[in-house]
Amino acid sequence: MTTMLEIKGLSVGYARKGLALEDVSLSVPKGGIVALLGANGAGKTTLIRAVTGLLDLHHGHVHSGSIRFAGESVLGMPPHRRVRLGMGQVPEGRLVFKQLHVEDNLLVGAAVLPRAQVREGLDAVYQLFPRLLERRHSAAGWLSGGEQQMLALGRALIGRPQMLLVDELSLGLAPLIVKDIYQQLRMVGQTLGTAMLVVEQNARLALEFAASAYILNSGRVVLSGTAAEVSANDSMKESYLGTQRRDGGAQK
Amino acid sequence: MLAQVLFSGLALGSIYGLVALGFAVIFKATDVFNFAQGMFVVCGAYFAVTAISLLGLSFPLAILFIIGAAALMGVVIHIFLIQPLSGRPMLSVIMLTIALSIAMRALIEMIYGPQGRTLTTPMPTGVFLLGDLRISQLHLTAAVVCWGCMAVFGGFFRYTSIGLLMRATADSHEAAVVSGINVNTMNRLAWAIGSTLAAVGGLFLGQLQIASTELETIGLLALPAVVIGGMQSIPGAIIGGLLVGIIEQLAASYISPKSSDIVIYVLLLLILMFRPWGLFGQRELGRV
Amino acid sequence: MTTLNSSPSPPAAASWQRWVWWLLAAAFVGYLPFVLTDRAAFGVALSNMQLLNLGLTQINLMVIAMLGALSLNYLTGCAGLISIGHAAFYAMGAMTAAITGSQWGWPFPLVLLSAAVTGAVAGLLAGLPSLRVRGLYFVLSTLAVHYVVVYVFLEYQFKFFDVVGVPYPAAALGPLEINTPIRWYFFLVPLLALVYLGLRSSLRTREGRVMMAMRDHELAATSVGVDVRILRLKAFGLSSAIASMAGALYAYYLTNVTSEAFGIQFAIQFIAMIIIGGIGSLPGSLVGAALWLLLPSVIAGFAAQASGSTGIVRVLLVEHRAQLVQLIFAVLVILLLIFAPGGFASIGRQIRDRLALRRKQG
Repeated sequence: MTTMLEIKGLSVGYARKGLALEDVSLSVPKGGIVALLGANGAGKTTLIRAVTGLLDLHHGHVHSGSIRFAGESVLGMPPHRRVRLGMGQVPEGRLVFKQLHVEDNLLVGAAVLPRAQVREGLDAVYQLFPRLLERRHSAAGWLSGGEQQMLALGRALIGRPQMLLVDELSLGLAPLIVKDIYQQLRMVGQTLGTAMLVVEQNARLALEFAASAYILNSGRVVLSGTAAEVSANDSMKESYLGTQRRDGGAQK
Repeated sequence: MLAQVLFSGLALGSIYGLVALGFAVIFKATDVFNFAQGMFVVCGAYFAVTAISLLGLSFPLAILFIIGAAALMGVVIHIFLIQPLSGRPMLSVIMLTIALSIAMRALIEMIYGPQGRTLTTPMPTGVFLLGDLRISQLHLTAAVVCWGCMAVFGGFFRYTSIGLLMRATADSHEAAVVSGINVNTMNRLAWAIGSTLAAVGGLFLGQLQIASTELETIGLLALPAVVIGGMQSIPGAIIGGLLVGIIEQLAASYISPKSSDIVIYVLLLLILMFRPWGLFGQRELGRV
Repeated sequence: MTTLNSSPSPPAAASWQRWVWWLLAAAFVGYLPFVLTDRAAFGVALSNMQLLNLGLTQINLMVIAMLGALSLNYLTGCAGLISIGHAAFYAMGAMTAAITGSQWGWPFPLVLLSAAVTGAVAGLLAGLPSLRVRGLYFVLSTLAVHYVVVYVFLEYQFKFFDVVGVPYPAAALGPLEINTPIRWYFFLVPLLALVYLGLRSSLRTREGRVMMAMRDHELAATSVGVDVRILRLKAFGLSSAIASMAGALYAYYLTNVTSEAFGIQFAIQFIAMIIIGGIGSLPGSLVGAALWLLLPSVIAGFAAQASGSTGIVRVLLVEHRAQLVQLIFAVLVILLLIFAPGGFASIGRQIRDRLALRRKQG
C-alpha cells in the first residue's frame, strides 16, 4: 500500500450553510508530507474534520465522495476508531486536557499501546520535546502556547500513528518556536516514516516543510503539486494565500 | 448527646457521600443533573430485597447481583434515554431524569407493592458500648463499607488507565474524541458507576430503615450535598455528603425531626446565593 | 426550545370561518357543564364511557390547573426561567387564603386578590437568586424555595389548625354563593380566558418580545438597552401571582387542604404539563393540563369496565391504577422529549404547516 490517505471527489456541507467542500481530491503517500494551504474559510478545517470524523460534532456531513485511510474506507467510522486505525490528530486549538498534568496527557495518548511500550513511548516524546520533561507534573492548562502545542503533538505521536494530521500548528505561536517544532516533526518523519498532512496558514513554512501541497479556495482544490512547483507559482500564491511578504506570515 | 449525634451523622453522611459521589461522577462525565439518583438508591434497596428474599441468594452472591443489576441499569438508561438527548437544552434533560424517576417509582410499586419490604441481611445489627456512646454496628459497617467504596473508586479514578481516560473525558469531550477515546463507552461507564454507588447506599439505607420508595427523599439529599460541596469537585461531593449527614442529625436532635430536611435546603439556598460554586468547587463563570 | 408562541395571522379570506369555529367552541364550552351534570346531551342520555368518565369536578380542577400550567409556561417557556418549585406558589396562595379568608373572613374577591399579591411578592423574592446565578443553580434554588415554603405551610397548618387540614369557607361573589360545580365552572372559565388573554397580550408588548428574545439570546437583549434582570423578576412576579391565585382557588374549591397536597410531585406535574403541551406555547399549556387531568379519569373508566375480567389487565387497571397512570405519563413525557421536544404544540404546528402546504399545492 503506497497511499496512506486517499480522498476522492469529496463534497461536504454544513446544515443550513451550503457546501463547504466541493469535489475535493487529495492523497498523502505512505511516509509523505503534504501541506494543505488556503485562506481562512477555504475549507481546510472542514477537510480535516471530514478525515478525522469530527464533522458530526460540528453539524456537517459528507454529501458525496470517498475517504480511504490505510486502504480502508473511513466514512461513517466513529472518530475514536479512526485514531486507533493509526490517524494521529493534532487539532486546531491544541485541545490538551487542561486539568490533567503533562504526563497524564501523554498517557492518554499512550492508551493504545501495550503496557510494556508505554515507558518507551514517554521517553521518546520527552527526548523529542525536552520542555515537556521539565514540565511533566504541571497541569496542561498552565503551559505556554508553544508547550501546549508540543504536548498535543506528543500525545498524538506517542501512539505511533501511521499518519499525523496537524491543523494550524503555528497559530498564536512565536515564529522561532514554530520553526523549532517543524524541525522536530521533520526528524520524526525521517526516522519513523510517519506520514503527515499539515494545514498551515503560514504558507512559506509549510512549503519548506512539506514535499507536496494542495491549495484550497472556496472549497475547491485550485492548485496541487510538489512543494517546489507550488512555491514557484507566485501569482497563484498571491491570489489565494493573501499577500506573502518577507515577514513570513500570511496576511489576510 | 452530642457525640452520639455526631457519630450517627457521620455514619449517615458516609452513605450520602457515596450516593453524592455517584451523582458527581455522572455529572462530571455527562453534564446531566440526575434527579433520578434518589430512585437509583431505592433500586439498590429493592435489588437487595430481590436477591436475598426473593431469589434466596447467599449474601456474597447477592452483593454481586446488586452491583451487576445496578451497573446494567445505569448503562441501559444512558444508551436509551441519555444519549438520545445529548446536546439538548437543560430543561429537557432535567425533565427526562425527573420523568424517569416517576416511571421507576411507579414500576417498583407495581411490581413489589406500595408498602415497603423489610430487608434482612447478615450484617450486624447490634450495638456496642464505647464508654457512654452507643455505637450501632450497622452504622459502623455502613460507614466502613462506604468509605471503602469511595477509596476503591478514588484509586480506580486516579491510578488506572480507564480512570485516566474517564478523567480526560470529563476534562474535555472534544479533546477526548481527538485522542481516540470512545466517549460513549466512558459515559456509560460513568452511569454504571453512579448507579452502582447509589445502589450500595440503598442497600444500607434499606437495612437501616425499610426498602420502600420513600427512600427516594433521602437519596435526593445527595443533590444539595453535591451543590454544597461543589458540583465540579469529586472530593467536594463526599464532604458535602458528610456535612449533610451531620447537619441533618443535629437538626433532628436539637430542633425537630421534621425540620432536618428544611435546614439542608435553607443551607442550599444560602450557598446558592452567596457561594454557588460550593465550598470546594472553583469559581467558574459561565458554567450555567 | 420553541420560539414564538403566537401563531401567524391566517389569510383574511378565512376569517369568517374562524368566527364560526369560535362560536361553535363557545357553545360547546357553555353547554358542557350541563351535559356533564345531567349526563345527557340534547335530551339523549350518555353513558359514563361516552363522557370519558368525566365529571364537572374534574373539569373545574383542570381549569384551575390550566392557570398553573399557563403561569409556569409563561415563566419557563417565555422568560426562560426554569422553576421546579411552582407548587410553592400554590401553597402560598392557599395559605394566604387561609389567613385572609378562613381566619379574617375577607370576602372572596379580596381573598383572591390578596393571594395574588402575596404570590407576586413571593415570586419576586424567589426570583432574586436569578440575579446572581443562572441555569442549573437557579433551578436548584427554586427547588430549595419549594421545600421551604411547603414547610412553612406545614407549620402554619399545625399551628392554627390540625392534622386534618386547613378548612376554607364557601366562595361567594357578593351575595351570589359559588357552591355548585356549575357555578364554579362559569366563574373559572371566564377567569381562565382573562388570564390567557392577559398573558398573551403581555407577550405581544415590546417588553414581552424582548423577554422572549432574552430567553434565547441573553447578551443580544442586553445590548438593546433593556435590563434583562428586571424583566425576569417581573415575569417571576406575574407568574407567581397567577399561580398563587390558582392556589387560593384550589383551596376554596376543595374546602380543605393539607400540606401534603403541595409535595414535590405536585410541582413536577406542572412541568410535565408544559412539556407535553409544548414549552413556550400558551395554547399548549392548556392541552397539557387537559391531558394531565383527564387521562386518569379515562383510565378509571376503563378500570371500572375491566373489574369484571381477570388477568394482568385487571391487576394493572384496578389494583395499581394510580401507578399505571403515573407510568403512562412518565413514559409519555419521555417519548415526547426524545421524539417531539416541542410537545403537542409542535406536533400541531407540523400538522398545520403540512395542511397549509397541501392547500397551496391545490
